[in-house]
Amino acid sequence: MSSVASDEGVAVPTGETEGSYLQDGYTIRSWLLTTDHKRIALLYLGSITIFFFIGGIAAALVRLNLLVPEGLLGSEEAYNRLFTMHGIVMVWFFLVPAVPVTLGNFVIPLMLGARDLAFPRLNLFSWYLFMAGGAITLWALFAGGVDTGWTFYTPLSTAYAKGHVVLAAVGIFISGFSSIATGLNFIVTIHRLRAPGYTWYKLPVFIWSMYSLSVLLVLATPVLAITLLLVMLERLFHVGVFDPSIGGDPLLFQHLFWFYSHPAVYMMILPGFGVVSEIIPAFSRKRLFGYKFVAWASISIAVISFFVWGHHMFVAGTSIYSAVLFSILSYLVAVPSAIKVFNWLGTMHKGYISFDAPMLYALGFIGLFTIGGLTGLWVAALAADVHLTQTYFVVAHFHYIMVGGMVSAFFAGLHYWWPKITGKLYPEMWARIAALIMFIGFNLTFFPQFILGYLGMPRRYFSYAPEFQVLNVLSSAGATILAAAYLMPLGYLLWSLVYGERAPANPWGATGLEWQTRSPPPTINFLRTPVITQDPYSYQPPEPVQHGG
Amino acid sequence: MAASPTLAHGFQYAGPSHQAETAVAGMWLFLATEVLLFGGLILSWIYARHFNPLGFAAGARETELRVGTLNTAILISSSFTYALGLSFLRAGNSRRLLHCLALTLLLGAAFLALKFGLEWHDDFRNHLFPTDARFKIVGAENGGARLFFSFYFIGTALHGLHMTVGVALVIWIILRARRGEFSARYHTPVHLVGLYWSFVDIVWLALYPLIYLIR
Amino acid sequence: MRQTGTQPKTPPDVGRLLLTWVLLLVLGGVEFGASFLPIGHSMRPLIAVPGVLMIILVAVNFMEVGKGPVIVRAFAVAAAFWLLVLLALGSADPLSRTDYYVPRVTAVAEH
Repeated sequence: MSSVASDEGVAVPTGETEGSYLQDGYTIRSWLLTTDHKRIALLYLGSITIFFFIGGIAAALVRLNLLVPEGLLGSEEAYNRLFTMHGIVMVWFFLVPAVPVTLGNFVIPLMLGARDLAFPRLNLFSWYLFMAGGAITLWALFAGGVDTGWTFYTPLSTAYAKGHVVLAAVGIFISGFSSIATGLNFIVTIHRLRAPGYTWYKLPVFIWSMYSLSVLLVLATPVLAITLLLVMLERLFHVGVFDPSIGGDPLLFQHLFWFYSHPAVYMMILPGFGVVSEIIPAFSRKRLFGYKFVAWASISIAVISFFVWGHHMFVAGTSIYSAVLFSILSYLVAVPSAIKVFNWLGTMHKGYISFDAPMLYALGFIGLFTIGGLTGLWVAALAADVHLTQTYFVVAHFHYIMVGGMVSAFFAGLHYWWPKITGKLYPEMWARIAALIMFIGFNLTFFPQFILGYLGMPRRYFSYAPEFQVLNVLSSAGATILAAAYLMPLGYLLWSLVYGERAPANPWGATGLEWQTRSPPPTINFLRTPVITQDPYSYQPPEPVQHGG
Repeated sequence: MAASPTLAHGFQYAGPSHQAETAVAGMWLFLATEVLLFGGLILSWIYARHFNPLGFAAGARETELRVGTLNTAILISSSFTYALGLSFLRAGNSRRLLHCLALTLLLGAAFLALKFGLEWHDDFRNHLFPTDARFKIVGAENGGARLFFSFYFIGTALHGLHMTVGVALVIWIILRARRGEFSARYHTPVHLVGLYWSFVDIVWLALYPLIYLIR
Repeated sequence: MRQTGTQPKTPPDVGRLLLTWVLLLVLGGVEFGASFLPIGHSMRPLIAVPGVLMIILVAVNFMEVGKGPVIVRAFAVAAAFWLLVLLALGSADPLSRTDYYVPRVTAVAEH
């Protein structure tokens, strides 16, 4: 990247008045050694797409196995390794990174009126950490895998499991530092690099959501790091604190693991909330209803999510008193999420709604997340959880949130900001068809699982009782439709890169600073530092159409 | 990162002090993550001690209290010498900075030598490593004592790793200071390494009572 | 910011740093001494209280948490708060669990 020293000694990149960030260097070196947050976002986008398909193939094989009650694949061990691979790859290498490292990295500096993140080289380093962790984990999984489930419970993982536990743990450990680096970068950027006039209550909710997410990333992930380290040490050197034969408490692992992993699920969904909070006002042509409530709800979710982890351990043998405490706190954490849902609906009420693809995905998010969230309340109730835990009910609950919610939100954001990122418009008709197929395929896959769970089908079992077969076949059929729906965007988005219409700076007529610069943006984002005077989401209703008579 | 006397700063910052303060904020946030890292380890201490009170105490009695206490005094002093050095630099006295950094390095090296050269060596000789087939404490207290020493070895190893990184960073600062890269106007790396160094001291201040005093 | 003079100066906060150092050693001595007192098993963790004071002293006087931008203090408080949540809420289970006694297993599980 060529640059020139200005009078104050600042190295300002030149050549930016003509080209975009995509034209600022065509060599592989200029991509692999970039510190431009926009290019790093694209590097990440490529990586997580690959991980998404690997995790998806594992899921496809799982659903294939469950077509017949005896298990089609013929091997329990293989099945265990497949669902473990699916969980590990999807959680740590797709869901946790997805929106933050792609859309977050790209959009946050633009939304703030900044020229880059606070620590651009740390940003590049975090991508390399992610790739290193991912490579090691994939090596572990393809060299034979792990059969403990993505949750690595002790003493199975530390003492009895065959498989590459330590290698997988090392990969996840390394990628954890990538998360911490990203979260740190975001928090410092949001505090320190806002454009002049940008007070906190003028920021888009996406920023509040990404800030909340980053708090989770920096405070919860280190606990995962020490937990995995303890598992590795115990498994490798038998020096450990989880071994019951010397008085260690295996439940300590679960406490430490879920202290991270419950905030982790909020890490996965908060960015989705942020994306939806941008899209609903834009496609309803109306201000976000209850802006301050939505903003503070994000912060509340981040804080309270640290207090609820025990609800994953209701039947593990913890004390009943701590279980009651965690159950009450889990009900509390549902409140801010519900506030958001009502505020989105309030935004749409008497709005001027258009059903472009981002809006379709966002609407799907609201419906599916609500179902997932409500069923979460059922499993948060102690007595109900005794029946529902470790069944397909829980599987359906979290897939409604993660896939119905988060993946929909990811696609919503990807389509919404695609014109800004690539400078091209995707084909709207195909996008709407894909969104619809995804919605149908998703519900067909996961709704039967609620029923299966209620009827008592356990999760993580290679085979099942014959009376569950019809629902399982429906679920697997749905999975096929869902897979097709995921392949469609891969197709038409890539197509749009070459044949798509050129995008204007603001194809949606949306508010927000990122729409005030070109599509795609120049490397330094803004040719002149913007000054903020307006409130966010200052949408005006469209001009009324004049009718004769 | 600016290294030249003209105090160039990154193009996303408003000025050198904006960048310096941002770097300091970033370091504090990183140290906050480290608090949680060691926090998980402390929770394991709580569990091990709670469920195995007698064995845990029996293990704790085998620690070398004098070496541990001396090491605590050494680390406290090294934090002092570093802070002193930074203070001298801010007053314009680069020579004193180098003296203080050298003293800090010496104290840090002394800590590592005492901890890993002397104390760990003695611990292994006394059959206190938890997987030692001839572990020193037998009978009902064997499990709890082994849990204690699991915590001890993991905790001191993790802390020692952080100290070693700290020592390397202090050496790096000394080399840069000798090249005259720091002044009263620009010394952000010195400040950042000082924060890290004091933090490693803080971790030890937390581990010291857990290992040597509470039992 | 201080002047860059040619005469090496003693900075004004040497006294404060020196006092902090002495205080830290004293508190360390108090902690060390307290560990010899006949305190019951469940109260012994209180011996660490001087240690907590020492940590605060280091953070305030050596790390200067009070100076610099406000978020530095926010980060430090957040770290302390979340550590407390981890330790307190994490201890809720063992402290309230009913232990059912199981006879000692003599054979160690095979790894």
